[in-house]
Amino acid sequence: MAEITLAGISKAFGETQAVSNVNLTVRDGEFVVLLGPTGAGKTTTLRLIAGLEKPDSGRVTIAGRDVVGEAPASRDVAFVFQQYSLYPHLTVYENLAFPLRSPARRLPATEIDGRVREVAKMVRIDHKLENRSTRLSGGEMQRVAIGRALVRKPAIYLMDEPLSSLDAKLRGELRLELKRIQSELGSTLLYVTHDQIEAMTMADRIGILAEGRLVQMGTPREIYSNPANLHVAARLGQPHINLIPEGLLPGGSAPAGTKTIGARTEHLEIARSERGNAEIDWIEHLGDQNHLHIKVGQHRLVTLADPYLAIGRGDRIDLKLRNPLYFDAGGQRLT
Amino acid sequence: MINSDTTILEKEPERAAASTPVSLARRIGGLSDRAIAWLFITPTIALLLAINIFPLIWAIRLSFTNYRANRPNAVLENVGLQNYQRVLTDSDIWIAMQTTAHFVFWTILLQTLIGFSLAYLIDRKFRGHAFWTTVILIPMMLSPAVVGNFWRFLYQPQIGLFNYIVSYITGVPPSSFEMLGSVSLAPWSIIIVDTWMWTPYVMLICLAGLRSIPDYIYEAAEVDRASAWRQFWSITIPMALPFIMLAVLFRGIENFKMFDMVMLLTGGGPGSTTEVASITLKREAFESWRTGRASAFAIILFVAVFGLANIYVKALNRVKQR
Repeated sequence: MAEITLAGISKAFGETQAVSNVNLTVRDGEFVVLLGPTGAGKTTTLRLIAGLEKPDSGRVTIAGRDVVGEAPASRDVAFVFQQYSLYPHLTVYENLAFPLRSPARRLPATEIDGRVREVAKMVRIDHKLENRSTRLSGGEMQRVAIGRALVRKPAIYLMDEPLSSLDAKLRGELRLELKRIQSELGSTLLYVTHDQIEAMTMADRIGILAEGRLVQMGTPREIYSNPANLHVAARLGQPHINLIPEGLLPGGSAPAGTKTIGARTEHLEIARSERGNAEIDWIEHLGDQNHLHIKVGQHRLVTLADPYLAIGRGDRIDLKLRNPLYFDAGGQRLT
Repeated sequence: MINSDTTILEKEPERAAASTPVSLARRIGGLSDRAIAWLFITPTIALLLAINIFPLIWAIRLSFTNYRANRPNAVLENVGLQNYQRVLTDSDIWIAMQTTAHFVFWTILLQTLIGFSLAYLIDRKFRGHAFWTTVILIPMMLSPAVVGNFWRFLYQPQIGLFNYIVSYITGVPPSSFEMLGSVSLAPWSIIIVDTWMWTPYVMLICLAGLRSIPDYIYEAAEVDRASAWRQFWSITIPMALPFIMLAVLFRGIENFKMFDMVMLLTGGGPGSTTEVASITLKREAFESWRTGRASAFAIILFVAVFGLANIYVKALNRVKQR
């Protein structure tokens, strides 16, 4: 395990600037999640650390050693790819043993065997060790892929949306398992995803990437409650944050220069009132909670509501702001 | 919103039914879909029966008779298994079979080794690789008759380019050896031409195999610290193996019945050193006019190739299923 730093890393593919001037530190034993939409440069950042791409400029250091000139093999990283990338002609056991059978390592067979079985148990695939890797379900394949990264004890684990191709239930289970394994092993892990729930639940710190730039870095709580700008605010929160012009709703105290107000559920106060400033346009019943679609003049807002809230379609309500987020004309946060 | 969703769902079966075309049969009066299907495939089946299946059955029938194609009016006598017995005990035929095996073995070995190596080299995306792929494929696109005649000139001891180049490299005088005329060299002259012509074919199949291996497998192996050597033996070869085996199968079947190149280059000579099974068969059938016995020989060859190919395909499937 080791600390990883990226200093001023840039990478372009032809005309496209995939990563520009990213500075990032992953501390020893830390679980960092890079969150961003498709094309934000998340995968490229991982591949730059692994050595599968060469940066145009900048430095990558692993445990204080500059590794930019080194091949992937000598960087001591483990990579979990989005597409499983198991060796299809090998069994689960052979796939897990593959990284240990490197001639450079010369591990005795008994040690390899012990390690493979230990990891197989950890990722709960030990009952299928002799199966061909192509005869597994998606979840099993991804567990093998994660296990193949875990058999070694590299400086850092790099994971590229490892759960994105799984169904929701399995994703939830593996999310927990992954976090459990990481804290058990105390490993350094850089994880890339576009799923805010994965980021919020697993990360020690989240880095928000947009158009190749690292926009903000902080704990999930910081990122959620103190977003640096509109883009970051829009990445987190379910339902999506409501962006409304200044002056539309009463309440709060907007600083000078405020152009846009960001209001999540916790920033909105609802009270029934015949002569209120807003109208309930639609209610989505999700069971444990309701999504209220609210109309304020031309604007539409979505917020969560208690399912027992006695309110119906067409009802008028009084809508007030409570400590919302303020943004200037450039989308930067004002406090 | 929820209400409109449910109405769409309720209408779904009707919409699906409406978008399914009216059965073809109802449009073409009175014919069922099945009848129309038969209508379409009947010409093909008829053609296959006429030019493949019927001759095969006829040959099987003839193989039990003393029929001679140059005496069509002679009384046809049923000789039972005598033809088969004669073929299988004929030492000339066994020698021809050995010659064939020798050809098949060496052509496959050389074509697979060179073909795979070329594919491996051309698979690197270097500048102009598409152009070089096309250039390499040219021999395969030529007519065997052209290739045969062309190589006879190249092998010509006095003026042939082949002899000239060999002498240039080794220092042996060009007219001191005769590729097509010498007992020891004639088999190799055919192996060289067949390899020259068909290596591109093997390369093409191997290339398809190599291209089917996704890049991320290599990337995973690289991160897993597998050396280039280990990547080659534990990823490239096993994953391309089904394709290589397929190429071997195609070339094997093809070269087992190799005829054109031998006929054009040596005609089976000198003596009978390059007389492969198909040449013996042709002599038996159209020089000695022992049509019955030739048919028996042809059937034996057919069964042998068919049997070997079947065993091989089983092995191929086992490799693919891994």
